[in-house]
Amino acid sequence: MLISLNWLKEYVDITADVPALAERLTLAGNEVERIAQQEVDFDGVVVAEVKSLRPLPGSTKNQIAGVTTGGSMVEVVTGAWNIAVGNRVPYAIPGSRLGERRIETKTFLGVPSAGMLCSAIELGLGEDAASIMILDPGAILGEDLHALYPRDTILELEIKSNRPDLLCHLGIAREVGAIFNLPVHEPTIPKGRRSDVPDLVRIDAPDGCRRFVGCLITGITVAPSPPWMQARLRAAGVRPISNIVDITNYVMLESGQPMHAFDYQRLKGGRIVVRRARDGEELACLDGKTRRLTTQDMVVADTVRAQGLAGIIGGAESAVQVATTDIFLEAATWEPRSIRRTARMHGLRTEASSRFEKGLSPALSLPAVERAAALVAELARGRTTQSTDVYPVPLTPVTIELDGDRIERVLGVAVELADAAIILERLRFTVKRAGARLQVQPPPFRLDCSIPEDLVEEIGRVHGYDRVPSTLPGARMPVRDLFERRDADETAREVLAGRELDEAVTSSLVSAEGTPSVAMPSAAQPMVKVKNPMAENRDALRRSLLPGLLEALALNARQDQGAARLFELGSVFWKSAANAVEEPQALALAAHIPAGGADAAVAELRSLQATLATIRDRFAIPATDFKQAEFSSENPGVFAGFHPGRTGEVLDDGEPIGIVGEVHPQLLAQLGLPGRAVVAEVLFDRFSADGGRTPQARPLPRFPGVRRDLTVLIRGKIAAGDVLQVIRQQGGYTLRDISMVSEYQGPQLEAGARSLSFRLHYQADDRTLTNEEVATVQQRIIDGLKARFGAEVRS
Amino acid sequence: MTQGVAGELQRLRTSARERIEAATDQKALEGLRVSLLGKKGELTTILRQLGGLPASDRAAAGAEANQLKDEIFQWIADRMGGLEAKRHTALGETEWLDLTFVPNPVRRGHLHPLTLILREVKAIFSRLGYEVALGPQMEDEFHNFEALNIPQDHPARDTMDSFYVEADDLLLRTHTSPVQIRFMQSHTPPIRIIAPGAVYRRDATDPSHGSQFYQVEGLVVDHDIRLSDLKGTIEYFARSLFGPERRIRIVGDHFPFTEPSIGAAVSCGICGGIGCRSCKGGWLEILGAGMVHPQVLRNGGIDPERYSGFAFGAGLDRLAMLKYNVTDLRLFLENDVRFLRQF
Repeated sequence: MLISLNWLKEYVDITADVPALAERLTLAGNEVERIAQQEVDFDGVVVAEVKSLRPLPGSTKNQIAGVTTGGSMVEVVTGAWNIAVGNRVPYAIPGSRLGERRIETKTFLGVPSAGMLCSAIELGLGEDAASIMILDPGAILGEDLHALYPRDTILELEIKSNRPDLLCHLGIAREVGAIFNLPVHEPTIPKGRRSDVPDLVRIDAPDGCRRFVGCLITGITVAPSPPWMQARLRAAGVRPISNIVDITNYVMLESGQPMHAFDYQRLKGGRIVVRRARDGEELACLDGKTRRLTTQDMVVADTVRAQGLAGIIGGAESAVQVATTDIFLEAATWEPRSIRRTARMHGLRTEASSRFEKGLSPALSLPAVERAAALVAELARGRTTQSTDVYPVPLTPVTIELDGDRIERVLGVAVELADAAIILERLRFTVKRAGARLQVQPPPFRLDCSIPEDLVEEIGRVHGYDRVPSTLPGARMPVRDLFERRDADETAREVLAGRELDEAVTSSLVSAEGTPSVAMPSAAQPMVKVKNPMAENRDALRRSLLPGLLEALALNARQDQGAARLFELGSVFWKSAANAVEEPQALALAAHIPAGGADAAVAELRSLQATLATIRDRFAIPATDFKQAEFSSENPGVFAGFHPGRTGEVLDDGEPIGIVGEVHPQLLAQLGLPGRAVVAEVLFDRFSADGGRTPQARPLPRFPGVRRDLTVLIRGKIAAGDVLQVIRQQGGYTLRDISMVSEYQGPQLEAGARSLSFRLHYQADDRTLTNEEVATVQQRIIDGLKARFGAEVRS
Repeated sequence: MTQGVAGELQRLRTSARERIEAATDQKALEGLRVSLLGKKGELTTILRQLGGLPASDRAAAGAEANQLKDEIFQWIADRMGGLEAKRHTALGETEWLDLTFVPNPVRRGHLHPLTLILREVKAIFSRLGYEVALGPQMEDEFHNFEALNIPQDHPARDTMDSFYVEADDLLLRTHTSPVQIRFMQSHTPPIRIIAPGAVYRRDATDPSHGSQFYQVEGLVVDHDIRLSDLKGTIEYFARSLFGPERRIRIVGDHFPFTEPSIGAAVSCGICGGIGCRSCKGGWLEILGAGMVHPQVLRNGGIDPERYSGFAFGAGLDRLAMLKYNVTDLRLFLENDVRFLRQF
């Protein structure tokens, strides 16, 4: 909202300087976003009177004007023909300045011209370039034009959506009056001639129109509006058009009520019908566009067709033109929902619609029409012949009781009841004092106040939140614990960062079609689609973190940042049975191996496994087991995107809760990711067992343990996990710990053979184990391995 | 014979001394100790001959031999010390290492700036006794809008254009405020929570807007909670996060779910509050807040006549941008490691 300071000063005698004014308006909730000096940029232009006019000899275009500023007469050559003897005009004397331009005495066809007479556009006071600006006959000769057209300051305010009453100069004047405790001079509005003619307006859709005030004015003359009005409109960011249109805009910028003027002669049937548009009805609008309407749209029509999109934009057919003699002025109150819907549907937001959709008070419309009719009578010589006011359900005034101590109870600062009453009265509330409480009626132009807290807000923001002390609430808090989950997140993050992975946050919105189906197996279900996406590649919710991380690896590779290692901890979205959406937390890891081939990928994959086990170890969850993924033609989608030889499932208590593996080369090619990549994804809640366990201490061993190594040579795809299981089973209770020392596969062994080396730790709680005891157990293990896998074992 | 043993001892004394002095390192001295004093050493060999001496000579020769043993010990120790001292003196030359560079710095993983800022926010509020509450990102209209005084067609919905999903009535939450309702419905006052998380709006993407961003919500409900408590909390929070030298400004604002509503700004750290290109007249807006609207308390199952409360909501990305000098919001979701590794 652009506010002209000059205009504002008509209603309130502002004493504060501009920065202080802006600061206090901002503190009160009307943020001043920008302060601008209006571009009226001239020096040395004064008021002069035309005393004589004669043609410039030898020219058909120019004439010589004799002008005076009070003293002697000087001659000025001018190309304009609109002036007459006796007119007061702006005169740029020699040595004056119009913007960048210096005005000096110049000679035209041998006749010296002492300066020039100015048009509105040359002064930055109007659009008119063809004619000399005619000043008020009362303008004082010789006076600097700045006295008549003071340089204006424009304040750009951000008005909150609940205060459409502030989208005008009077509204802001009331705020200033309340903040600085100054009286506000509201314009006196002469009561219009009331000759209620109900037939003039018929409302067929009362649910869309709360009030409709209109009047018919005949015998008007359309002309440019006076310079003072043009200057104010321009300052408020509205282009002057003609006196009638300018008056409707002026009234809106003064009081907040949007208006429209129709050329009455163009209204078929001579009456207004307010109704819903017919489906497919077309309306040529004032902006030159023709819109197809629907039954959702409210229109102002004549008896034949729509003449305006209600509360948004007028129609071209009935627009006021130079030849217009009779006008119908409209000030209506439209249902905000309907305006919002129509404005959105047609992608058309106007000064009018942005006010109506916030919910204007119907109390504004009648004074607006009366004010406009008075201005029309004054500036366009019209006469009001008929008027009407359709207002089926008038506003019922509300009374709010405000206890004096509630102010302090809400704000934490005591405000004297008398001071509170003054603030409210300056804001035009009606206040009655009843003991220690106030009975308050909001002003009719405000619909946003209904409860005592609304009044406390008014008092608080005007009194100043800077006067509220700063305290901290004291409380007897109950003991609750919601921190477990957070700890799990943070612990995992620490381990992951320690393992040289950087944390990523990828978008939850992904492409339904374009997202590769790589995911942990439990996520292999249809994606949750967005009904109203903003972009085609963001039309679904992620069900896995892996595609986003792989894209991030690819992005980094393109930026010459190969070998990126990323992790993400975040929500994924799964459609659950009952038409609802589950949001499990997932943890995913991804590492890029740009070079080094299969061996480098193996090392990285082993590192991911170790990282997963380390996190679980931090949660004091002892075992992190892996199971080789079984690719089969029956479930082709389950391990989609994974390498068929190098993928495993992560187990928790024997149940799969995630996946770890190398990315299939085909998917890498699709992503444009060179080299190889390895990934893991787990269900974080299961993986962290909801925050992890608390470590439990055991007594230290009293008897020494015995270490033995075991190397197992196996052939074919025998899983180390199974080998370990046999060792554990045969080892019995004295086998306390097994760790895998090495894995070898290569030229020193026959093809297809693999050797696994383990270190076994034996211990008993009640005795020192003898060599014979240990040897017996070792032999049992060796026999077990031979029997189960045909393995050769060396110990 | 006496002559013989004494002579041998004498010869040994001379040669041992010479050999010890000639030794140039620890290892050579160690070797000498063994060859002179060891079980089969030269002195031991002489001592064995003592048994063959007459008793009268034996004592003197024994004393002589023992003295020599002590002397040899001492010479070796002295020589050892001398060699050490010499080695120590030469260390600056013999073992010079250039320490003006780090050949292979240990790489660490970097946590995301949104994680880091959230950690700071949580730490500040946990000092004030706040719990962390979480809510679903997939919300229903009631919790996201209606319970917060934002009915269908309310103008506030213009600024919170939401993504709807194919499941009935569900949308991606447009703010973290629905967690207020959920927490009030499931708990009784006193309540003191923060609720962080991702939120979504159908906003065009630019350096300061995106369709996915992050907020942290706060809610306090108890007997006799006042706006002054909110102001003090904001001040404590903002100055803990940005530095005790910062100033706070509270201005009027409007949100459908708070009454009165306020906005809070912190003085700009770059210009110190005078006004510069990075701020708005010396101030940086950090959050919106207010006293919980009585109807919202009621919607959460709390009697507004008995309890009052305040709520606030801040953009975590905005806080991170201000604190870590990030100028483009889009960097947060791009995951360029050159960005991530700055934190």
